[in-house]
Amino acid sequence: MRELIARRLHSWALRLPLDFRVLHRQFLLRVIDLEALSIEADIPSYLGQFAGILIMISLCHGFGLMFFPPPPGPETWSYEQARIADLQLVIGLCAVLMWDATFPDKRDAMVLGPLPVLPRTILLAKLAASSSVLGIALIALNFASAAAMSIIFGGGSNGMVRFFLGWWFTLLASSAFLYGAVLAIQGLGALFLPRKLFLRVSAILQLTAFGAILAGRFLQPWLATFSELTNPAYHALLAWSPTFWFFALFNHINGTLPRELQWVANRAWIALGLVLIASLSSLALCYLRTMKNTVEQPDLDPGASSISLLPRLGSSLQSAIALFCFRSITRSRQHRVALAFYWSIVFAIALSMARSMITDPPEPVSNGLIMPTILMMGFAVVGLRSVFSLPVSLKANWVLRTTQLRPTSNYIAATRRSLQLFGVFPILLVSAALSYHFRPLSHAFQHVAFLAVFGCILVELSLMKFDKVPFTCSFMPGKTNIQVIFWGAAFVCIILALLFGAYETQALAHPKQYAILLAWSIAAAVGLWTFNRLHARTAVLYYEEVLPEVIIRLGLTSLATSPAPPKPGPDPLY
Amino acid sequence: MLELQRVSKHFSGIPAVDNVSFSARPGQVTGYLGPNGSGKSTTIKMITGLIEMTAGQILFDGKLIEDDIISYKRRMGYVPEEPHLYNHLSGTEYLTMVADLRGLPARSASERIDGMLRLLSLYDDRHAGIAGYSKGMRQKILIAAALMHNPDLVLLDEPFSGLDVGSALVLRSLITELAARGKVVLFSSHELDTVERISDRVVILHHGKVVADDSIERLRSLMELPTLEAIFSQLAVEHDTDSMARQLADLIHA
Repeated sequence: MRELIARRLHSWALRLPLDFRVLHRQFLLRVIDLEALSIEADIPSYLGQFAGILIMISLCHGFGLMFFPPPPGPETWSYEQARIADLQLVIGLCAVLMWDATFPDKRDAMVLGPLPVLPRTILLAKLAASSSVLGIALIALNFASAAAMSIIFGGGSNGMVRFFLGWWFTLLASSAFLYGAVLAIQGLGALFLPRKLFLRVSAILQLTAFGAILAGRFLQPWLATFSELTNPAYHALLAWSPTFWFFALFNHINGTLPRELQWVANRAWIALGLVLIASLSSLALCYLRTMKNTVEQPDLDPGASSISLLPRLGSSLQSAIALFCFRSITRSRQHRVALAFYWSIVFAIALSMARSMITDPPEPVSNGLIMPTILMMGFAVVGLRSVFSLPVSLKANWVLRTTQLRPTSNYIAATRRSLQLFGVFPILLVSAALSYHFRPLSHAFQHVAFLAVFGCILVELSLMKFDKVPFTCSFMPGKTNIQVIFWGAAFVCIILALLFGAYETQALAHPKQYAILLAWSIAAAVGLWTFNRLHARTAVLYYEEVLPEVIIRLGLTSLATSPAPPKPGPDPLY
Repeated sequence: MLELQRVSKHFSGIPAVDNVSFSARPGQVTGYLGPNGSGKSTTIKMITGLIEMTAGQILFDGKLIEDDIISYKRRMGYVPEEPHLYNHLSGTEYLTMVADLRGLPARSASERIDGMLRLLSLYDDRHAGIAGYSKGMRQKILIAAALMHNPDLVLLDEPFSGLDVGSALVLRSLITELAARGKVVLFSSHELDTVERISDRVVILHHGKVVADDSIERLRSLMELPTLEAIFSQLAVEHDTDSMARQLADLIHA
């Protein structure tokens, strides 16, 4: 059966024009920047691993719903709203991650421009490549939950089928809306702004879209009952939130929408139509106009000095590495976006806390402050450490190697400084600001002191076996099971946060217990620091910029000559 | 003095550099020649410490370079064959990073960087991203990064690549000037005319082996050939170049 489907798909694909197939494959692989991956990375397996994460979420939702179904009534609506919001979050983040992938860049213009390929074919191949990734995300995230929802909420075989079809249509429409909106923003920007300005604004737009999608998911309230949905106080929310538009659209298709909310469903249709028209037309115009303009634009942007704005950050080596990290994160798209994935979790937690600060009165120091800030610290440091593993330009590593005039321990100390500056320090600032909502303030700031030590422990843990300069080599992603690592890290972070949260809440009420907690934490931090220092004395900096020394003989001169076995490369877990 | 003694490098058992021995002396410009794939860049990478030798030893001022690699690197400047740079940095940022990595004092580094950027006609574009630099501009950045710390050993792998005529003439004079100031200069190039003009001696590599190592005058008289190009063609070019060109033209015409 599987072979039959594969054969059918293959024969169907062969009917597509050759140039479209070739370009589609190239663009699909380029959705992820090859340079960001390890030299041994396997892109299809990397994509498969991300799909695995989404499938796991879908299975959790599906089985959760089957075994613990919500009671009929208002819970159903809030569940539908939450699932639509989840889908919008994932599709929105994917669309933002593939920010530039659908538009022609200079490389396309220079490589494909001289070839006899129509701009229309390039456009369609790019759209197809991006849609393939979004399609995988959409199906992986919903296949189990959609089936379970249809069974639980459908009510009878006819209702089940109607629910299933309506739900999938809504998911598709919602995904098309979000992807179209991202394309429209970029397309209109590219059309109306000068190219240099657009390139600068584009990075800001990307991060803004990232924040807006996250804020939409985590700050938005669920309106579970009819009275809440028709409450004039929420009229503006319904009028401007895409989650509610598509929630209403689904219930309209399913025949469960109250007449009073028909206008919300109409908004979904209007928004979908407008976004599709804007995105497709701007995209088409971009391909007709921008490809030529891209080639005509001068290569050199004069730029502006940033030296005077940046202070020295320790010794000359520490300063060089820290500034290199800062510039890599802020200027490299793939690093910025990869870090934004982790920081989005931090941002979401901070936003949730900020929302309660605005609406609720001050509350006593408890898990409401401790656990979120510990989680924020965990994701910030782990995220930064992961991004450090993505290379920025492997072939340029030679300069670091030929200028390595100081012992490895100095380089590791410089990396430690960068992790503290760009991982721990911002979280401490945010946590200190959020602490103003908690009472007594002395307890809140005692927690911030503990958080600083906890951050140092995380930094030392991150530096274990990290005998590298940030951004110079990688063993992740693509070489390791990222979905296992992701779930493992998330699980450990949450467990740690729960344990520390419970213990620290008790400890803050008893000065002696708090002193013991802090002393043990400091001892752990110092112990790890000493361990890393001792290891660094004998460590050798590791760089990864060339393929392992392998020359494969093809044996073309004689059939009797067998190819020489390749020499095994370096240990991939190094 | 830089000395290579029986240096070899094998990739999966296949020799890329085979038993190479030669020396480059202070005050002299040593040209390192060979066709593509002859092992020039591999040799230079071994001299920089970027790749390890399979056999042999490299000495600088009589000491094995691996005995105190840090002191050695402090005295070495290197221009690689390919202009691989961190494209997300500007020219100034890149050179400042290299100066910091080398531990040069901030003020003098800044003065040197500004001076070099002015002399190399890059000053106006110093804050532009390297991603936008032309090949020649990238080459100038590499040259500035290699020389800013006043190295005793200058290794130049295809340093003229991408440079305009004016810049190439400046570099040619600079190489001679550096040698005149007592530095060891080893450079590889395919521009035989330039090599002939500025080199005190040449080492010619073919299939990873040294096939000539002498001053150009002695090679000319020994081989009874008028130019370095003729010497090189005889020692290191296996094909009849005219015949090959004809075959290529026939192939695309067919």
